[in-house]
Amino acid sequence: MVQIIGCENRLTSIVRLGISDRLEEFYNTMNAYPGLPEFDYLKPETYAEASEFLVTHAGEARPFIGGTDLFVQMRDRVLRPKYLVDVKGLEGMDEISFDNSGGLTIGAGVNMNRLIAAPEVAEHYQILAEAAQSVASYQLRTRATIVGNICNASPAGDTIGASLLLDGMLNIYGGQGMRQEALSTFFLGPGETILQTGDIVTSIWFPRPPDGVKGKYIKLGRNKLSDLSIVGVTAVGYPDADTVSGTHFKLALASVAPVPLVVEKVGEILGVTPVTEETLKDAAEAAMEACTPIDDVRGSARYRKLMVRNLSLNALKDVWHQLSLLNA
Amino acid sequence: MVVSETKPNPVGESKPRLDAREKVTGAAIFGDDIQFGNALLHARILRSPHPHARIISIDTRQAEALPGVKAVVTGKGFPGYIGLYLLDRHIFCRDRVRYVGDPVAGVAAISEAIAEDALELIEVEYEILKPVIDPEYGVSSEATLIHPELDQYQVASFILPQPNSNISNYFKIRKGDVDSAWDNCAAIVERKYRIPHIQHVPIEPHVAVAQVDASGGITLWGSSQSPFAQRNLIAQALGISQSDMRVIAPYVGGGFGSKAGVSMESLAVAIATKVKGRPVKLLLTREEEFFTAFVRQGLIAYFKMGCDGDGNLLAMENKFYWDSGAYTEYGVNITRASGYSSSGPYEVPNVKTDSYCVYTNHPVGGPMRGVGMPEMHAGLEQCIDELAQQIGMDQVEFRRINCVKEGSILVTGGKMHPTGLLQCLEKTAEAIGWGHKAEASAANKRRGKGLALMWKAPAMPPNAGSSAWVELAEDGRVTVGVGGQDLGQGSFTVAAQMAAAALGVPYEWVRVATPLDTRYSPYEWQTVASRLTWSMGNAVVNAAKDARQQILEMTAEAWDEDLENLDILNGMVVSYKSEREIPLENIVIYGLPKADDQGWIGGPVIGRGKFMPDYVTGLDPETGQGERAVVHYTTGAQAVELEVDLDTGQIEILRGAAAFDVGKAINPELVRAQIEGGFVQGMSSALFESLNLKDGYVQNPSFVDYRIATSSDVPGGIQSIIVEVPQDDGPWGARGVGEHSMVPTIPAIANAIYDAVGVRFDGPPFTAEKVYLTMLEAGIVK
Amino acid sequence: MGFHRINLTVNGEMEQVDVTGYMTLLDMLREKLVLTGTKNGCAAGECGACTVMMNGEPVNSCLVLAVECDQALIVTVEGLARDTQLDPIQKAIMDAGGVQCGYCTPGVLIASRALLDRNPDPSESEIRAALVGNLCRCTGYIRIIEGVQEAAKM
Ligand SMILES: Cc1cc2nc3c(=O)[nH]c(=O)nc-3n(C[C@H](O)[C@H](O)[C@H](O)COP(=O)(O)OP(=O)(O)OC[C@H]3O[C@@H](n4cnc5c(N)ncnc54)[C@H](O)[C@@H]3O)c2cc1C
Ligand code: FES
Ligand code: FES
Repeated sequence: MVQIIGCENRLTSIVRLGISDRLEEFYNTMNAYPGLPEFDYLKPETYAEASEFLVTHAGEARPFIGGTDLFVQMRDRVLRPKYLVDVKGLEGMDEISFDNSGGLTIGAGVNMNRLIAAPEVAEHYQILAEAAQSVASYQLRTRATIVGNICNASPAGDTIGASLLLDGMLNIYGGQGMRQEALSTFFLGPGETILQTGDIVTSIWFPRPPDGVKGKYIKLGRNKLSDLSIVGVTAVGYPDADTVSGTHFKLALASVAPVPLVVEKVGEILGVTPVTEETLKDAAEAAMEACTPIDDVRGSARYRKLMVRNLSLNALKDVWHQLSLLNA
Repeated sequence: MVVSETKPNPVGESKPRLDAREKVTGAAIFGDDIQFGNALLHARILRSPHPHARIISIDTRQAEALPGVKAVVTGKGFPGYIGLYLLDRHIFCRDRVRYVGDPVAGVAAISEAIAEDALELIEVEYEILKPVIDPEYGVSSEATLIHPELDQYQVASFILPQPNSNISNYFKIRKGDVDSAWDNCAAIVERKYRIPHIQHVPIEPHVAVAQVDASGGITLWGSSQSPFAQRNLIAQALGISQSDMRVIAPYVGGGFGSKAGVSMESLAVAIATKVKGRPVKLLLTREEEFFTAFVRQGLIAYFKMGCDGDGNLLAMENKFYWDSGAYTEYGVNITRASGYSSSGPYEVPNVKTDSYCVYTNHPVGGPMRGVGMPEMHAGLEQCIDELAQQIGMDQVEFRRINCVKEGSILVTGGKMHPTGLLQCLEKTAEAIGWGHKAEASAANKRRGKGLALMWKAPAMPPNAGSSAWVELAEDGRVTVGVGGQDLGQGSFTVAAQMAAAALGVPYEWVRVATPLDTRYSPYEWQTVASRLTWSMGNAVVNAAKDARQQILEMTAEAWDEDLENLDILNGMVVSYKSEREIPLENIVIYGLPKADDQGWIGGPVIGRGKFMPDYVTGLDPETGQGERAVVHYTTGAQAVELEVDLDTGQIEILRGAAAFDVGKAINPELVRAQIEGGFVQGMSSALFESLNLKDGYVQNPSFVDYRIATSSDVPGGIQSIIVEVPQDDGPWGARGVGEHSMVPTIPAIANAIYDAVGVRFDGPPFTAEKVYLTMLEAGIVK
Repeated sequence: MGFHRINLTVNGEMEQVDVTGYMTLLDMLREKLVLTGTKNGCAAGECGACTVMMNGEPVNSCLVLAVECDQALIVTVEGLARDTQLDPIQKAIMDAGGVQCGYCTPGVLIASRALLDRNPDPSESEIRAALVGNLCRCTGYIRIIEGVQEAAKM
């Protein structure tokens, strides 16, 4: 299976994939293609047609939506498909829908700017908009999609943490028709997912969020905005009468493990004891312990661990603060 | 009436840029925008994948056989050497590759994609050699020789390569007696800094198109700061006449030094010689831009400096190891410049400096905005702060005492010309609120202020020349011919302002003859060294004065009046005596009827002018002492206020202030734009930038991982202050400021970080990680 | 590989172009339509020099396929001015001194125009956020930001 690391730094991704530990071979990755390498473009009318084409041309064809990951990987010689299948015109791809019982469905073709601007997202899933807002630049977000971000399965994907914590499910069209997959079991490794050849994600669905949910995304980049994350911390919390603390917290981390990481321990610690400065610190320590970052051009493993601790604490505190305002 | 009006003078006014409208409408033509039609071929370059290796064999047969490929070129047919001060490289590698990215072969094909595919069909066999990746190690006798033929290379007289070593230039200062001065010092600071390689990152990548005509004449279109230097150097390398080499240089999308001299242009030319008649375009990818275009040299710098109890600097001992990379287009002269400026802008009685330019198997070091001065000042201005602190003196006060003033004895032995450095220091300190510590904006932040001084002289040969012409059309409108480029700094606008003022016409009447074309434009050494306003400006003024003289002489004769009574005001020739007046219209082409109406005098007016400094003396090779080492120094100061985030180590620059003595601001807004732009470029290099080299391989050759400042990172305001202490030989007293604005930024920021949290680093960039981990080690955070 | 025939409107002109599947919008504009105002600075979505308006929203034209632009409405820097009448954003950025080398300028203008279209009265931080995808190495951004503020007032 072809592995891809989307927006990861090119050299580290090559190393991590075990393609080479010889420096001379790094050289290939320095030699990006001047434009896009040759391929043919298809825009099928139906899911069936698209899926079938992908199956018949397994290994040679790829689906794309915004192309912001795929095109760059092709320039970088990580991938060289013969066919690109444009799936964003397929039925339903373009839709955002929300209702109180059915939750939120975002078509795979909905770009991030539309998602950010959608009132239903802003009202009920604010953390998703916040995460999307941190991706690249406005003009890139005209093309980039949240489903593309997820399918690309980079550990740095900014919207993945929020999607995980909001219990997102992917609607997928495949050989057997439509099926749903939970995001929690979707990621297998950097650039690796459970998607099979011919699978096309049609939309992502989120259940109605718990009442009073609050969230915070902290992205530490080298630049204030627009950079990939050195560390990304997504925290959400909501009132929950079933816990000792009365609050349920969740935390997800980006860029510090081979896959986007949900730190279950955080919920446990902040569930069984009352929330205080101290227990928040314990939870942040637990996050630090749970992650397994590597050294790369963006940052060292050591720094990343420390930042997971500091920024998890800040994110949790922020959510805690938002929740207390709610109670006040 | 006209005569009584005050004389308009566009010099000193912030006239709108000549090129702005073209640039906001998308009409401005840059190198890649020129249309060549279907004849155009596209070139791609096969580059060395090794930092250091011998080429055993190259087999191009398969590539040549690929349909669509028109030529495959290697170093075989091109034995000539190329280089600005030291001719140390071939156009394509012949027997040896010296950095990852060194050009080995070139392909021209009907499309870029075919050329790219052909590269994979070229087989090259290498014998790997041990690379040198550290300049300090590079000078040692164990280091592999990267240029065993160094002693045979042609070299400029003031560059001193050391045979049988990797040292391409060695420059020394021996002033006073350093060794015995240490005993008199009340405080001594000794530090080592490492300044990483960085990239210029013009947003326009390098592009060159070359075409060879039937008679062998070559035309090169390129994004170029140095069309005349390219004409000369490429002609020399090919062994052809300079007159057969024509360089056309349209607008340049940022250069900062990377488009000076010759880099990839000679590759396009060499390939074009093999596909006679067809234009060949070579456009670097952004990735190639990062590792194959010039980079700023790395530097390992040792400083030792001491002062007496009253804060008087007594001695400095400096050692610079410049990491010049595989070849040294400019590096050798940067080594020299950092030597003759090695005291920084201070008067120091005893100075000992050793500055080495060292070959390594790194990308090629070129000139970059400030040519060595930002790198050198980065450490020097931190040591000055530390020294002041050691003897318990305010850093501004310490600088006030020691900075160069008119008449100061310079490190090279000569005397300092009039300078406004002290004013720059005081105004900058005042603007940043020196001495007042403001509250941090949050509990997890610490706030600090820092300041640094700078000086820089144009780094160029002693006799770098400029020339210009001024021509008038029937309607009296003026065209100025120059050979210096507008890289965005506004040199065309300034040339037009000066021509208008010197000639006596409104600014709006003047345009500049573009694109630069070595066939028609007057000679200019290069657009580097912040020398255009001063040097090219002088040439323009002389040309405008020459035209004016021609017009006045003609009119004096026609009107039978004395020359002294005539003037040109607002495009009218006027007589203060007879109060006669006549517009320039027509007379500048057709002349005037003689006084007796019997025949005509005058005719088409073309003014010509030149400028070349004739007073720069050599320096003693053993002591670096001499009468006048450079043409002049531009001086200045910069200060910042910043906050350090204790949770992450991130630095936020809150505001900046800067003052430079520009002699005379011909266009104050353009000066301010340079001060701001340079500040941000300096800030970007201080906080983000480093070409991460591992065993000779650049690990971050793209914008993904080589980050530069974005709109989100810059401070809300930079107060730019113009100081004007005139330069005796500058037009209206002007001297340059283009590079200077980024020279003091790194140390100003470093000093402010120290002020905020009390830590220092051995070099930039001051990334959040570096700041945080250093604070952790110092126990400032847990 | 086959060609695709597309119809689109560029700066108000209807165009019909035959393009390969892998040709980018950037290359189509520059090479097929000879609209060279739009610049290539990285071909990877990072620098913003290639920013154009596609159906009213800014995109990095280096990361859009030309074939995707069938029936699209494209505006490039050349399409901002009405005859000789500059768009307020062109005038404001020019007057503010936000142009030096000018290579980033076409992308900056389109991104700024798009910002003002969706938010006629942006705050300074909104302007900065809207321009993070437009790298400028010359100006230090400050005058560009001022220019956008001025244009908002026009
Ligand atoms: C300059 C730049 C900056 C970036 N910055 C960020 C950043 O800050 N944060 C961040 O998280 N990302 C960033 N990215 C990466 C990228 O923009 C995002 O991951 C984006 O969300 C991808 O969406 P897309 O629609 O463009 O994906 P595409 O490139 O279209 O697809 C991504 C992958 O998913 C597959 N795929 C696409 N659609 C489907 C489908 N329907 N079913 C199955 N598989 C599918 C494709 O084959 C491909 O492998 C950046 C990219 C660039 C070029
Ligand atoms: S060229 Fe498209 S973003 Fe740089
Ligand atoms: S003006 Fe030169 S890059 Fe912006």
